[in-house]
Amino acid sequence: MTALPAVQPRRFRLEPYLNFARTAMAREATYRFDVFTSIASVLVRVYLLRMVWIALYSRNAAPHDLPLHAIITYSTVALLMSLVMDIDQTRLLYEKLHDGSIATDFMKPISVPLYFFSDGTGEVLFHATLIVPSLVFALLIVHIDVPGPLVLAVFFVSFLLGYLVGFCINFIMNCIAFWTLEIHAARLIVTWVSDLFGGEIIPLVIFPAFLQKLAFALPFAAMFSTPLLIYVGVIKPDRYAEALGLQLLWALVLGTIATLAWRAGAKRVVVQGG
Amino acid sequence: MNPRVMLGVYKQYWRINILTTLEYRENFLIWLGFTVVYHGTALVALWIVLNRFPSMNGWTFRDMAFLYGLWMVAHALHNTLFSTVGDIPDHIRDGEFDRLLVRPLDTLFQAIATPGQVFPDELILGLLTFAVATWFSGVRVDATFVIFVPLIVVGGALIDLAFNLFISTVAFWFVRVDALRWIVIQLEQEFTRYPISIYSRGVRLLLTFVVPFAFMNYFPARYFLDKAHEGAMLPAYVGLYTPAIGVLAVALAYAFWRVGLNRYSGVGH
Repeated sequence: MTALPAVQPRRFRLEPYLNFARTAMAREATYRFDVFTSIASVLVRVYLLRMVWIALYSRNAAPHDLPLHAIITYSTVALLMSLVMDIDQTRLLYEKLHDGSIATDFMKPISVPLYFFSDGTGEVLFHATLIVPSLVFALLIVHIDVPGPLVLAVFFVSFLLGYLVGFCINFIMNCIAFWTLEIHAARLIVTWVSDLFGGEIIPLVIFPAFLQKLAFALPFAAMFSTPLLIYVGVIKPDRYAEALGLQLLWALVLGTIATLAWRAGAKRVVVQGG
Repeated sequence: MNPRVMLGVYKQYWRINILTTLEYRENFLIWLGFTVVYHGTALVALWIVLNRFPSMNGWTFRDMAFLYGLWMVAHALHNTLFSTVGDIPDHIRDGEFDRLLVRPLDTLFQAIATPGQVFPDELILGLLTFAVATWFSGVRVDATFVIFVPLIVVGGALIDLAFNLFISTVAFWFVRVDALRWIVIQLEQEFTRYPISIYSRGVRLLLTFVVPFAFMNYFPARYFLDKAHEGAMLPAYVGLYTPAIGVLAVALAYAFWRVGLNRYSGVGH
């Protein structure tokens, strides 16, 4: 009697996941018009926010830790970050639940959550390349402050942690589709709330005290606000550890919730007979 | 063409819409939640900023609330009556549009009266928001206000309709118009949120004469809030021109629609 091949202990291989990511990048690159609109939209908003902040700063007393050039830098960097952060990289999970093709994915010799992660990462990496042309054109509209190498390095670490938090939130939202397929409106609601309370449009330090407390207590602040406040120097080096630690904590908490949601959801697929 | 037949069809259209909404009640409630959160976050964002910086080019939060309320009610009126015009490119793409052509009713009317899940919830919310904003901003509600505001709201909705129809007509030539629609929507929704006097000259001219979204809310609000000195490009009374601008815009868009329709010969199904 020979053992069935499937029973052999499965060795983890990175290769398929790299290929998933590569395929996702190629797929995104085919939507050329979307690329054009993403960049155009960022530039239009860079202009809009520049004019808004100029109008607000010209007749009122400026906050001392956030002068005009700093807040314009903040908004521009936020918009460039949004090219990556606003991508719903686990939308594929929802689509596969919708058309039922998730059933066959469970039969494949792969880790399904890792498959979604690699596919999403490929998509995001493609959109990350759009930051370069957007930045070049944005520099025609605004001047951006560039901090020193240490601050810049910490900013990138914080951006990465913020990305993980965003990934977990998106993943949890798409997991809701295991229970109900009508998640479009709920997703948009979370997007609007996170745009506002994440500090993407308005820096949280401008919020009135009670709303600021609320915003800093929510996970959305870890997505945009923390990296951006590090970039413009409102969060000083002595508070880096605390700021990054809080982001890491949110990533772990939301990662745990995402894992639990995924397990509970996957079980439902099996119980229903796939 | 028989107006009574059209009226009958239109009544049926609303009957189906409302029955569909009642059938998918949870779905309706969650979309209502979406509408509330969308406008709510926009207003909260304005409040946060104007709480920290008490004025934007001389506009306080009260003024900006009126500006937003006026846009919201016109935009909601358009969404309630004419959002189906935006589905025309989809009908063209999947060949459904050809069916409208062979029926004995005006094609555009049929497109407008294609049932979906339309419900006047956003319009009701818009009217409430506008009423509160009017009271809050201390605008004097006199005879001019009572006569002109409904006309301005209709005019604003017509400006919206003109662009919706214009973009849908482009689909006769280029099947995919999503990107174009997206840019125009963004121009409208985000640029009408602030007084246009904060923009550079080119953008002000664009929003006044090319894509006249400034007539949906900025010029009327400037008139009713007595801000004649503001953005002194045009005299204050142009704020009452909105109905005329709306009619003109729709007339132009409709002429363009006729050209597109006469040229149309299917996408090759």
